[in-house]
Amino acid sequence: MEIIQIIGIGLMSTVLILVLKEQKPMFAFLLAAATGILIFLFLIGKIGGVISTLQRLAESSGMETVYLKTVFKIIGIAYIAEFGAQIVRDAGQESIASKIELAGKVLIMTLAVPIIGIIIETVMKLLPA
Amino acid sequence: MSWLGGWLREIIMIVLLASFVELLLPSKSMERYARLVLSLLVLLTMLSPIVSLMKGDAASELSLAFRRSDGGGPGLSNAEDAELRQILADGKKLAAGGRDQSLKLAAQQIAGQMREQIAGETGQRGANVTVTLALANEAGDNTMPVITAVVVTLPAGSAEQSDAPQGSGSVGSVPISVLPVDDIKVDLGEGENGLKETGESSGPAEPAAAVAGEDGGSGGADAKAVTALLEKNWSLDPAKIKVLNGGSEKL
Repeated sequence: MEIIQIIGIGLMSTVLILVLKEQKPMFAFLLAAATGILIFLFLIGKIGGVISTLQRLAESSGMETVYLKTVFKIIGIAYIAEFGAQIVRDAGQESIASKIELAGKVLIMTLAVPIIGIIIETVMKLLPA
Repeated sequence: MSWLGGWLREIIMIVLLASFVELLLPSKSMERYARLVLSLLVLLTMLSPIVSLMKGDAASELSLAFRRSDGGGPGLSNAEDAELRQILADGKKLAAGGRDQSLKLAAQQIAGQMREQIAGETGQRGANVTVTLALANEAGDNTMPVITAVVVTLPAGSAEQSDAPQGSGSVGSVPISVLPVDDIKVDLGEGENGLKETGESSGPAEPAAAVAGEDGGSGGADAKAVTALLEKNWSLDPAKIKVLNGGSEKL
């Protein structure tokens, strides 16, 4: 029933933000950011459970941990970049939000570079010179 | 067959994981990029038998590549870097040891040749020759060994010296001096300067320990002959040649 708690927090903070926005827009933004972080923290425990389960499954199936680590890095970068970008977007800074997203994309792409390197090297060796 | 099973299991796991992760992704904008990386991972897993055939384990290659790309430094920083430095230092030490030994050997051979020449041309048998070689650093990169000192101890029992050994002559042996030797080449690795080796061709006596005495008499003439011989044959600076009278040791 955590979803109800989360929705409760979300609704409360939305009403408060709407009220505050007329008087002090600055505090409204702070409240929004704090609510976002609160919900995120709420979810971190759950995510940890999922990740440890996945890890255990991967180990038992003999999968290489490097692959798993790469996948987790992708999820982590995507989520954190998205989260930061939304907070900044709430504050009205659309351009900075898009820069944060760009950074997330670039970081995900850099994860692909070593994989591409290995694949291309292998293919080049497969082909006769 | 077991590797086939493992390979299939790995592919299945990674495809399941990839589809799961794609659901988890927060926004559409990230999705394309994440999908690219995930599909590359699936491709690498499919290729992994070929990769391991070509260049070793795929996963360890990948982790190595990640470590290298993770800011270059931290992967190879402390432990491995120290290890590398240790190995390099060991190699340098070994090279220096080899250089030491070859210098010593060369010095011994030169001393032997000098002794034979002295015996052949002046008739002084059993002279004790000590040669000191050092690496001279000429023109930077090319180091070559150079004779820095030659000490000849004439045998005490020889005819000329038996009559007049007055040890404390003090006129200063005819120390004679020097051109760097060019014709003696000892093939060594490159090295630092300042290495010194002393080779000694065995006369029966101790190498000319602290004997500075020089006879004024016929022994002096003998010494001069030896010096001139060495100077001519080895084109040595006379100042680097020191002839000691073995007889004075006995006094």
